[in-house]
Amino acid sequence: MATNYGGYMGKVLRINLSTKEVSEYPFSDEERKLYIGGKTMAAKILSDHLTGNEKAFSEDNLLVITTGPMTGSGAPSSSRFNISTLSPLTGYITSSNCGGNFGYYLKKAGLDALVISGKCENPTWIEIQNDTVLFHEADDLWGLKTSETQEKLDEKLTMKNGRVRKNGKICIGPAGENQVLYASIISNERVSGRGGTGAVMGWMKLKAVCASGNKEVKVIEKEKMVKHTQKWFKYLRKHPLTGNQLPKMGTAGLVSAMQMKSILSTKNYQYGQYDKFEDISGEKLAEEYNIVNKGCLTCPIRCARTVEVNGKQVKGPELETLVLLGSGILNNDLKSILRWNYELDELGMDTISCANTLSYAMEANEKGLWDNGLVFSEIDDISKVFEDIAYARGIGAELALGSKRLAEKYGGKEFAINAKGMELAAYEPRKTVGLGLGYAVSNRGGCHLNGGYLVILEGLGLSIDPTTPRGKADLTMMFQDLMEMISATGQCLFTSYAFFPSPLMNHPNSWYTKLVNKILPYCGGVVRFINKFPEIAFFHLPVFHHTKAFELVTGMKMPFGNYLRAGERGYNLERIVNARFGVDESKDSLPKRLTDVPQDPNKPETKVPLETMKKVYYKARGWDEKGLPTKKTIERLKLDGDVRDKG
Amino acid sequence: MVMYVIKVSLYGVIRLQAGISHFESTASTLSELKEKIPNVSRKEADDLIVLVNGTAVKKKYKFKDGDEVVFMSPAGGG
Ligand code: SF4
Repeated sequence: MATNYGGYMGKVLRINLSTKEVSEYPFSDEERKLYIGGKTMAAKILSDHLTGNEKAFSEDNLLVITTGPMTGSGAPSSSRFNISTLSPLTGYITSSNCGGNFGYYLKKAGLDALVISGKCENPTWIEIQNDTVLFHEADDLWGLKTSETQEKLDEKLTMKNGRVRKNGKICIGPAGENQVLYASIISNERVSGRGGTGAVMGWMKLKAVCASGNKEVKVIEKEKMVKHTQKWFKYLRKHPLTGNQLPKMGTAGLVSAMQMKSILSTKNYQYGQYDKFEDISGEKLAEEYNIVNKGCLTCPIRCARTVEVNGKQVKGPELETLVLLGSGILNNDLKSILRWNYELDELGMDTISCANTLSYAMEANEKGLWDNGLVFSEIDDISKVFEDIAYARGIGAELALGSKRLAEKYGGKEFAINAKGMELAAYEPRKTVGLGLGYAVSNRGGCHLNGGYLVILEGLGLSIDPTTPRGKADLTMMFQDLMEMISATGQCLFTSYAFFPSPLMNHPNSWYTKLVNKILPYCGGVVRFINKFPEIAFFHLPVFHHTKAFELVTGMKMPFGNYLRAGERGYNLERIVNARFGVDESKDSLPKRLTDVPQDPNKPETKVPLETMKKVYYKARGWDEKGLPTKKTIERLKLDGDVRDKG
Repeated sequence: MVMYVIKVSLYGVIRLQAGISHFESTASTLSELKEKIPNVSRKEADDLIVLVNGTAVKKKYKFKDGDEVVFMSPAGGG
């Protein structure tokens, strides 16, 4: 189904692994306009197939791999692709955004997306080259770790002249093969980490997919786009976050700032500070271990670190891994975290869910609920524990289930730190309560990004009152919608951080920054108005280059207001599909430790006032008291066709 | 004015610029101390987040015995 829009290749492929049938999946321009690409396009495809009765590990589930129209367009940080499926961890939709090279090469092959269903009889890998799809046996790859798998695939893609055909790959490691509920999918060194997409791929017995080709992404206004991109690159390079902090220190640079703000999850979220934080900080990583910073394709930010592990240069840990395998389990040995980060990527496991499950288990052991031998700060055997998880051996087979299921078995739900079954990110939310709301309502479970990342206003960036519920619901909605759309277009969410004008970031002590910090929580009404009538923003914002770039690439009209509205549509669509699987108000929850126990016993406000914020949030979203989009909201977002009774 | 020995810690990219993580310096006011961060100009120091004994203080803060100061670059986004 060809397209009149730029940015898209105009073709989605359906691959049935059971029958080995390959066919074109119909996706029209009308649908492209409404559902854009990435996670929203995937949500639409899942919405058209899922009734609410399916299970993650079944032939009824789909693994939907999508690019966005900006993927491969040359725009900054635009190599991203998305993997969505019914998550084995949560039972709801998960969407996981990845910066590897697969999305770029999928478009080179002339495809916008893959819709994979069924199950192979034997381990298989798929080769896509332009219009050809080949199924290969993967017996020799099954059991291999992720970097070895990718090396072996390159050997197979070596041409007669001895050169490896340029290609993008995704693959799983042993954790995916053994269906660890939080197994990841790897592309190069980048990870589609959250929600267990790798376990679904493992259940399908699909070890890897390689894509290559020679097609080009059509850009409607090519010359104007080149100029706009140059301006945008410059802007990102000058911005204090995207041009200074992230390139110099990566996300690891936040560890110290989180300590100062008491949001550094420590000892399974019991505390917000860790006395040995300096040992696991981004400063230490930069000073003693970082070899060079790296980036995804076409990214000027280059936030990735490179470190040495076992004599090999490998990807360094992100903030989440540093914190959750550092202060989270009372471990101040940075070297061990570098090694574990590598090992977890090699095994193909989400570091966040894995680390939080581990810290839950340590606390359960400490409290006498589960005699498992795991103790906070005792780290000698942790590498073996990770291997046991990946191969589902002994205690590892239990840890492979994630914290929610373990708490149901052994008790301690109040300290099994997850939302909708997916473990929270590293920010302790009792002193960033807006993010607490985001974690709870996030469609894919305890995710800081899908949750709207309000911590950027509540301490890491701006410094609005982090414990007041005031204004947080409306701001959460706006940031969720914005990030939803950035992700749908195929760009990295980190480009959104430049949305905050540099002077506010550069001059935190200036009168104007202080003023913004003071008044922002009181702007809920204004933010609500914009959320409700985004069309009033019928222009491009000078600090937000995404909208104009989108227009130049695709030829679709996309002023800021439309951009927000498209994000809102995507967010609601995932919610509507999740509702078929039982998501409602009761599932938007956090463990009691975070909502009922103040982080600082002398300050009762240092806990997440979730119920108060939820009510305002639902109102802002146009959802009813059960937390479901009202008829009016559904009509406004043109999602009528996606509402159906559970089949 | 009484001068105190102040323990100073630097965090964020400013630490990479200064090339030092912790140092001790003598000063009687915060303003004075800002002049003494290695490789960091006064203008740059004015844009750092400052905590004295873990809490934010006024620009004209006068030191007391035993004060510990943190200077940190603004950081966000992860
Ligand atoms: S900012 Fe980091 S994660 Fe995002 S595209 Fe660039 S290198 Fe990749």
